[in-house]
Amino acid sequence: MKTKEQIINDLTPRKFNKLGVAWTTLLIIVIIAGIIAYIDQLIKGQIVTNMRDYALWGIYISNFVFFVATSFVGTVIVAFLRLTHKEWRTPLVRIAEVISLACIIMAGITIMIDMARPDRLLNLFIHARLQSPITWDVIIIPTYIVLSFLLLYFPLIPDLAILKNYYKKTKPKLSKWYGTFSLNWTGSTAQKAIQSKSIKIIAYLIIPVGFILQTVDAWLFSTTYRIGWSSTNMGAYFISGAFVAGVGALIAVVYIIRKSYKLEDYITDMHFDKMGRLLVLACLIYLYFNINEYLIPAFTASVEEEAHLNLLFFGQYAPLFWFVIIGGLIIPIVVLMFKKGRKPLPMFIIAILVVLGSWWKRYIIVTPTLLHPFLPIQGVPESWHHYFPSIHEWLITGATLAMALLIITLLFRYLPIIPIQRTTDEHKLLRTNKITES
Amino acid sequence: MSFSRKNHEHHKTNSYFMSKNQINIRFIFLYVFSVFILNTFSNSLYAQKVKQHKLRINVQYVKIMDGEVYFDIKASSKIKKKNIKVSNIELTLYNELEDDKIKLGKTTTNMNGESRFILKNFNEIRPDSSNTYNILVSFKGNDSYKKAKKSISFKDAIIEAKIITKDSINYITATLFDSKAKSPIVDESLTVQVQRLFNPLRIGKEFNNTDDEGSILVPIEEGIPGVDGNLALEVVLNESDDYGTVKAIVKAPIGKVIIDESTFDQRTMWSPRNKTPIFLLIFPNLLIFGIWGIIVYLFINLFKLSKS
Repeated sequence: MKTKEQIINDLTPRKFNKLGVAWTTLLIIVIIAGIIAYIDQLIKGQIVTNMRDYALWGIYISNFVFFVATSFVGTVIVAFLRLTHKEWRTPLVRIAEVISLACIIMAGITIMIDMARPDRLLNLFIHARLQSPITWDVIIIPTYIVLSFLLLYFPLIPDLAILKNYYKKTKPKLSKWYGTFSLNWTGSTAQKAIQSKSIKIIAYLIIPVGFILQTVDAWLFSTTYRIGWSSTNMGAYFISGAFVAGVGALIAVVYIIRKSYKLEDYITDMHFDKMGRLLVLACLIYLYFNINEYLIPAFTASVEEEAHLNLLFFGQYAPLFWFVIIGGLIIPIVVLMFKKGRKPLPMFIIAILVVLGSWWKRYIIVTPTLLHPFLPIQGVPESWHHYFPSIHEWLITGATLAMALLIITLLFRYLPIIPIQRTTDEHKLLRTNKITES
Repeated sequence: MSFSRKNHEHHKTNSYFMSKNQINIRFIFLYVFSVFILNTFSNSLYAQKVKQHKLRINVQYVKIMDGEVYFDIKASSKIKKKNIKVSNIELTLYNELEDDKIKLGKTTTNMNGESRFILKNFNEIRPDSSNTYNILVSFKGNDSYKKAKKSISFKDAIIEAKIITKDSINYITATLFDSKAKSPIVDESLTVQVQRLFNPLRIGKEFNNTDDEGSILVPIEEGIPGVDGNLALEVVLNESDDYGTVKAIVKAPIGKVIIDESTFDQRTMWSPRNKTPIFLLIFPNLLIFGIWGIIVYLFINLFKLSKS
């Protein structure tokens, strides 16, 4: 059993080692390349992308949907596990909260990147129509950003106060910063009451808001009368997909952080086992909705629907489609069913597969449908019937992914990865229980 | 001695450089001059090579009774076995008389190679001794097209049309006659049609030839829809060799009233935001203000934390 001092020593943020510096530098290089590409896109216009009248949503929107989906992890891990009193969540919640915040911020930025005229962003608010799902999206994304921030911040306050005291002598400047953000936390009963009440409210609130976010995102597609989108299944399909993407991303990040910060004492094999079970559940639910989404249209196929499904099952998009279904869902289910599969390393490999599958899944939701409208556009060049992202799109998208990873990296450079106060409280409780038992 | 030799050598070197410079200048001058000459020559060669295409002009005379009188002109050209509509061609219209030619005005073809020249007043033009009007449309040529002209001749015809009702059936009756000779025009085919948004709706038989009195009688079937029940019926003499196109329009409230099914004034999912459906104003706003109310409360809690 570790003492409070040991726990604080273990869990305070640490400087980057060589690998950390190299990782951060790599991310910054990718981001700079993306910024250069974006400036070029701003100057020359969207012509630098391969989006045309057919594929008017491309990789930017599929990347946006991926970010929105992944941000659902905050809702799943923090809110669900908190409300169901799963104590094993403690070392995972902050990682989930940070992923959630980073992803939803990047979702907002990605939408702006997709706009040819970002200077007209304000028009989305000035000329908003409540009938438009775009307006709902514009409202729900900032709401989720604020709520994700509060979800991260409220439980963080006691830890910031601990860090303030910890660095008081060694790093007074840093200590001052921690002091400012700890909002004069002393751990008084009144403060604890306000904090725990607020966390409870957020945990309750983030569930409907998370559901609204994913549903609005789904409705952006399903309110459009197009093959592959116009489906009543879409809301639930997106929520379950977000569940998969979020938990997959969490496992991948947890594995890397555990290894690089040597947190094996806090994030144990038991945590991976639990996350593995959660991922199997998520994948099974998502697989069920996938069957719904593809089997029924295949059964009742109209000519257009048949063409679309043929394209996915046997055509140009078949390799991606089957990679997503088999690699991103079926293999994870099979592997994670076994206890050996729920060990950290196999889980990490599976999580990477799931994240890749989730990213490409959004791509095959967006692109093939756009290339096959009910009413073909007359007299357009042949090349407009096909879409594959341009180098600008890849660079910019790469930069948004790198930016999300950089936000996560930097937040963990200055914030405790595992909640210190809560961990010490739990250890204290365990000790008290042991004494009482003996 | 040595000094004078040096001086001499220096002078020699100088003169050598000068002569070389002069040669250079001559070369440059010759080069510039030859480029200028060649350029001029090649330009003139090029100008000779440009082929002027033949321009075709097509003119239609149209007269609407109690309305406009105009000439619809089309300019085209056959280039590489393809008919091309020629835009931006300036055309001049003349009224040709036996011994005179009166300029009526100018017009320019649009992107589709078309132009409409509207006569302000029909009395602007005069007929010749045989009561025939002669109009000349002339193009004076440009770099790409040769000069061209086209004349048309027509006599002035009049159509008088009206609606009559016999045994509860509506008919349109029309009489066609020559305005100068004051005589009916016999056995000419007239078209009867109802004005529609894109193409007119023809009614009656395919050919309605005028009788000895220059008249036709065409029944109007019931139930033709019109805004407020109003129908605009047209009697048309179409591209006649002698009289051109003459059209009479009669408006009558004999159609079926169109019931306006527009949702323009209603609150719908597709209307502008000032006509947002009420339920969409209530529920999303309840959600938005409810959630943001709680968020504000949480921020107040942050403030309380720092003060407690």
